Amino acid sequence: MIKEILSFKDYDRFVLSITVFLLLWSVINIYSASFHEFSNLYIKQIVFVSISLLIILFLPKFMDYRKILEISLFLYIIGVVLLILVKIFGTTILGAKRWINLGFFQLQPSEIMKVIVILTTSHFLSRLELPLSLKGFFKIMFLVGIPFVLIKTQPDLGSAILILLPVLFMVFFAGFKSKYILILNTIVLISLPIVWHFLEDYQKNRIIAFFNPDAYSKEFAYQIIQSIIAVGSGQLTGKGFLEGSQSKYYFLPEQHTDFIFATIGEEWGFVVSAGLVLVYFFLSLKILYTGYRLTDIGGKFICYGIGSLIGSQAFINIAMNIGLFPVVGVPLPFLSYGGTALIVFSTMIAIYQNIYFLDKKNKFKLSHSEVEKY
Amino acid sequence: MAEFLRSRFGVVFTLFFIIALIITGRLFYLQIIQGQHYREISDRNYMRIFVTNPPRGRIYDRNGVLLAYDVPTFQLVCLPYIVRKNYKIEDFKKYMKELLNIDLTDKQIEIIEKNLYPQLIIQKNLSPEQMRTYWNYSYLFNGVYIDVVPKRVYTPEANYLPHVIGYVGYPSEKELKKNPDLNMNMLVGKTGVEKIFDNILRGKPGKRAVLVDAMGRQKKILWEEEPEKGNDIYLTIDIRLQKIAYESFAKSKNPSGAVVIVEPNSYDILTLLSYPTYDLQKFYEGMTKEEWQNLTSNIYKPLLNKVFSGLYPPGSIYKPLVSIAALEEGVITPQTRILSKGEFNIGKYVYRNWDKRGCGYIDVSQALEMSCDTFYYQVGLKLGIDKIVKYTKEFGIGEKLNPDIESKTAIIPDREWKKKVFKTGWFYGDTVNLSIGQGYIAITPFEATKIILPIINGGYVLKPNLLKAYFDNKTQKLIHSQREVIRQFKFKNYNVEAVKYGMYRVVYGPNGTAKVMATVPIRNAGKTGTAQVYTYMTRIKKHHKWELRDHGWFIDFAPYDKPKIAMVVFVEHGESGGKVAAPIAASILRKVYYEKILQE
Repeated sequence: MIKEILSFKDYDRFVLSITVFLLLWSVINIYSASFHEFSNLYIKQIVFVSISLLIILFLPKFMDYRKILEISLFLYIIGVVLLILVKIFGTTILGAKRWINLGFFQLQPSEIMKVIVILTTSHFLSRLELPLSLKGFFKIMFLVGIPFVLIKTQPDLGSAILILLPVLFMVFFAGFKSKYILILNTIVLISLPIVWHFLEDYQKNRIIAFFNPDAYSKEFAYQIIQSIIAVGSGQLTGKGFLEGSQSKYYFLPEQHTDFIFATIGEEWGFVVSAGLVLVYFFLSLKILYTGYRLTDIGGKFICYGIGSLIGSQAFINIAMNIGLFPVVGVPLPFLSYGGTALIVFSTMIAIYQNIYFLDKKNKFKLSHSEVEKY
Repeated sequence: MAEFLRSRFGVVFTLFFIIALIITGRLFYLQIIQGQHYREISDRNYMRIFVTNPPRGRIYDRNGVLLAYDVPTFQLVCLPYIVRKNYKIEDFKKYMKELLNIDLTDKQIEIIEKNLYPQLIIQKNLSPEQMRTYWNYSYLFNGVYIDVVPKRVYTPEANYLPHVIGYVGYPSEKELKKNPDLNMNMLVGKTGVEKIFDNILRGKPGKRAVLVDAMGRQKKILWEEEPEKGNDIYLTIDIRLQKIAYESFAKSKNPSGAVVIVEPNSYDILTLLSYPTYDLQKFYEGMTKEEWQNLTSNIYKPLLNKVFSGLYPPGSIYKPLVSIAALEEGVITPQTRILSKGEFNIGKYVYRNWDKRGCGYIDVSQALEMSCDTFYYQVGLKLGIDKIVKYTKEFGIGEKLNPDIESKTAIIPDREWKKKVFKTGWFYGDTVNLSIGQGYIAITPFEATKIILPIINGGYVLKPNLLKAYFDNKTQKLIHSQREVIRQFKFKNYNVEAVKYGMYRVVYGPNGTAKVMATVPIRNAGKTGTAQVYTYMTRIKKHHKWELRDHGWFIDFAPYDKPKIAMVVFVEHGESGGKVAAPIAASILRKVYYEKILQE
């Protein structure tokens, strides 16, 4: 029994090794990003990383994703209730109500909602007829719309986008007609000025700053400029571990959360930061590819959701760090500080491993030709 | 169904691939292509070079009496961009008022709000209480720090010679450009000794490279270059003499003038008084508008250093020079007697003696004693303008013997000068005027010492000296100024003696013009001078307007046998050399004797 528990041969070892590596590496980087403030953030991170490792390594063996899919609507309701609770009892940090204080832990329901929305959408898609009809699309959009609005008004534009994005990918994978996609895109583009009105002032400023950093260099573009300087000054091989002057001397705000990539870029240089981009690229693609291979619709869409979430969140975060995307407050999966995010992402990987594991174990695996038949 | 699944995976794969490619490309651009550029920016971002200014050298008189030194003062400075980020301006204002008792001006608030300057001085000269509050509550003051700035302090003694000491200030942009060793917060000499010996006094600033964070807090010193303290200097000035000169002049109630005392064998300047003086410390620290206007509109020109910058006709004190020239050129001998009447005629022009009665048959010593103008008219004509000018120039008059300290030099009229200025030739009348130190000639009070120096020191024309020594901090040695001979006359001894005797008779002779000097316990010799400001032809003896009165001069040396000091007293519009300037000289010399500074 114990031997069975300690054997990981049925896991996706590629994904396993990458996630374990990222988790361990996050401790080192958060130490570097926060030790000069005499903070114990990295110790907290060690605790969360340990929990995450336990989840990734052992949870897949004690669960069945199909059972989770069945209760996904129930989870969805819990998630929405939590988001409403945040509105009422939430802790305000930096002007946003995103956390529920549990004493020992600041719970961030929007992070939990990310996985719940993926699960619920997968559940829906496994029941609807594919390719996805317009009616089905609107059902799903309604499902996502509630948490999206709740999170957007926290205000937390970044998390709201990342609630929506994986679902859009899943819808796309579900064979939603290109014609509709084009029409919807046009509608979105036309309605952009209206969306603009619904943005908070600080969000508007960040977007202006993104397009014109010099004009706002003292105010809102400060983060962008300092972060670009940090990354750029890393050059080929970086300034060395704990040697990043940008991050060590308070020029770089939020460096252990949203801007951890800038710290990495500064201290480790192009070789490692470009390597990190590749790591995220392969991680998300591998998960998407598994989804592509799977025959079980529920598991398939969970994989699509998880893969596109990790990919888009990582790319948005990195793009934000190097001035390719407005600063929207998105953490880097597995590397940024934040307990809820770590545990949620680890749970996602655990679910993925479970899908992979069950697929292998139950000989669900089919050949290419069989997929085509299906 | 299978078809769309495959194609859609391909689309997403391509999308992710393109995004990853763009991000990697951007990283390549930032870190490899622009890497060096951003590395430099980040270095500047966290490394600040602070310049530490050394204390300026002290200024002492020749006997080690302190005249000027540095003290550190503390000022409160803020970085507006950090203050803005951390406080609401009302809160900041409240903090400053409640904790430090500083009222921010509207101008300062505007600078902070609009971030007009990178740095703003909130208050200079912090009190000890304010400093204590700052250190105790320093965590409350983000972007506010205390800066040490040196302040120059002048001792009360320095107020006897403000013109000599001069003052310091921050360098102008021109000076900063010219000298890369200077910096904005460094004190540099602006006038006087502070300027002349600035290179010795200034020292070398040190540099400190410090890591700072975005709040401007200093985190760690990277490297440090110690500042080099400025060297102390010892002036040739004897502050005791300076004080005596000042007090004697002040007691005479004359509003304006100058006193110069030098040591004749080394040409060390012992006293340099330009009267009236001003309060040096107040002048340096800034005065009220009213005080400033009082200084600048004062007709007695307290800010002008009359010793070096005032040009006045020398009058009769010029006669010893003409005498030695005539004797050396063989125009007269010490025994030559010339009939000197009350008047002297050239054609229709009449040149009068100051005393209508005339002087009779007199030799050169008697001519000096009585200051006989008609004697010198005749001698001057015989000698000729060119010879007079030649001797004048060889005596160093009209020449900057020490260009560092002499700012103006005499106007010596000669043929060329007259052609240039008046477009006319040289007339006999001009020579006549020049031979008694009148007409176009004008000298500085300092140059009056040049008239007697070669006569009493063995014919040496020396470089005047204001710096006795300086203490070189590097070698830890006192470096003395060397006596510098510029040229030497080979005067015949009997000629020199005749002139000296004539000057002796000025003091002790029966017809001497400065008998008051005979009351001094030291045997001395001198020459009075009363220089006309207004045209001598329409001589108005008693003029009520101060600016139109004659200048009073007296030059003197003592002791007679072995001169140790040579003195010039100049009283601007003092009306008479013998009656006004000489008593001041007598008062000075008497005190010098009784205070045992100079004895025979």
